[in-house]
Amino acid sequence: MAHYILVLLDDKRMEKIKGSPVEKNIKSMFGGELKCIEVNVPDELSQKILKTFDTARIDARGAITDLPVAFMREFFNQIAEKKSIGPEVIEATLEKADQIKELAAKESEYLPPPDIEV
Amino acid sequence: MTSLLIERPLPHGGRLVERVVRDKEVAKKMIKGCPTYDIKPTLHFETGVPVRNVYREIMSICYGFFSPVEGSMTQAEVERVLKERRLLNDWIFPFPLVFDISKEDYKKLGVTKGDRLVLNLKGKPFAILDIEEIWEIDDPERFAHRVFGTPEDNPEVVRQRFDKKHPGWVIYRSLQPIVLAGKYTIINEPKFRPPFDRFWYPPRKCREKFDELGWRTAIAHQTRNVPHVGHEFLMKNAAYTGDIEPCHGILVNAIIGVKRRGDYPDETIVEAQEAVSTAGYIKPERRFVSICLWDMRYGNPLESLLHAIIRQNMGCTHHMFGRDHAAVGEYYDMWATQILWTKGIPSFGFDKSPIDIPYGVQIRPQNMREFAYCPVCKEMAYSENCGHKREGISGSLLRGMIAEGVQPPSVIMRPEVYKVVVKWWKHFGYPFCNEKYVRDKERDLEVELEDL
Repeated sequence: MAHYILVLLDDKRMEKIKGSPVEKNIKSMFGGELKCIEVNVPDELSQKILKTFDTARIDARGAITDLPVAFMREFFNQIAEKKSIGPEVIEATLEKADQIKELAAKESEYLPPPDIEV
Repeated sequence: MTSLLIERPLPHGGRLVERVVRDKEVAKKMIKGCPTYDIKPTLHFETGVPVRNVYREIMSICYGFFSPVEGSMTQAEVERVLKERRLLNDWIFPFPLVFDISKEDYKKLGVTKGDRLVLNLKGKPFAILDIEEIWEIDDPERFAHRVFGTPEDNPEVVRQRFDKKHPGWVIYRSLQPIVLAGKYTIINEPKFRPPFDRFWYPPRKCREKFDELGWRTAIAHQTRNVPHVGHEFLMKNAAYTGDIEPCHGILVNAIIGVKRRGDYPDETIVEAQEAVSTAGYIKPERRFVSICLWDMRYGNPLESLLHAIIRQNMGCTHHMFGRDHAAVGEYYDMWATQILWTKGIPSFGFDKSPIDIPYGVQIRPQNMREFAYCPVCKEMAYSENCGHKREGISGSLLRGMIAEGVQPPSVIMRPEVYKVVVKWWKHFGYPFCNEKYVRDKERDLEVELEDL
């Protein structure tokens, strides 16, 4: 099964890829309530991701999920910087694996909750 | 009354196992002079992280969730379970259940067949184990493979050899070598901590609750997750089955046990499930949430059999099964559970569906396909109805969204459910189970015990 990473786009992220070739890959989900990009991951790289990040798993749709938030942030930064969703953005993100793991270790202790009334 | 009406099934094995002594004076007499052992968590064979606590199995056995199992299995029983998925009394059962200890602890204890061992939990007497046999697991890795199957031995459904990425396989691989086999009896009832206390419906109490609600038919929903709207539609629609009318009720049964990093906390799961009803999406008169203690083995078809047994014991007439039931990774065929319930899996000992064989289960399977959002129908649509391109929601998609601070759109997660997620996020400082949660949970467990 081919695997992919789903990158969610909020307004800030939309702004960063505005006018770039990546824009044509934007998908609309759930009746337009959510924007995202699906980045295909070659098998060799998906195995590397699973090995590098022990929380990562492949869900029933073939999406690589449960990656550290730091990975997802860096992954988007690479997309925005390289204006691409090719394998080079995955490779560039993996090159920063040590840095991501360091951030992820802190992140796994605390994530600020959204400021909503509960 | 029409003959088409379905009656509540008897418990699996014909009667509910209840091995709980409630009289403290009797309990004190029962344990007088007996050797004691402090229950220890099973630790991952490589990392040392807790992966199971046998106390959960003792609770589920003694309160009847696993009827007719009454204790830790003898070697002959385990062999039969592994070969035919049957107990020695012929009733079907999917997994070996054992009380395992290290060789060092066995030496220190010095117990033999015929002894009564007092099992302490959190420093207090909790249960007794009347030892009938002591045997040894000589090769835990082989044992773990036999529990879940292999692509060679079980080609109908096993797609990939199990390994240490599979949490259920790790549980069996991490067992200590000495098994003390025999019946358990709880002699000091633990008290559940909030919020778990209000979801505790052991089989007898659950059957009484069905009577109180006037439910003759009830369909079970297995969960270990915060519900999204796809789950809600699965529940609503599966419940249209029944006999001459839809099922009277939906029993949500959450499996509570050891957690993996990235899962939702159990507190979030039970309250988020409850929110679906308190917020009126499926009214409380028609649906309630309950728990069962068990460290998930993620055994897909085998796990579905255990779920069927648990929920039949709780009084359900039907059980809904979806894709990748109790699955992790791609070890099993994504429809393995439905294959089991439709035609059986001969290599696991079932040449027919487990409802069509002697000493099988009586609960009726309701195999369901998928619900996904259809932007054309503008609703959560059933895959076998809707002819448009749909957008699937998965728990992991939602987890990603939540972690990145994006509130899921209400078409995929109800705002009341999201509020519960945030409530416990604020409490734990994290929306999911992190290392601290996992460590604290296995230290504190779900219960407290009083002095005997």
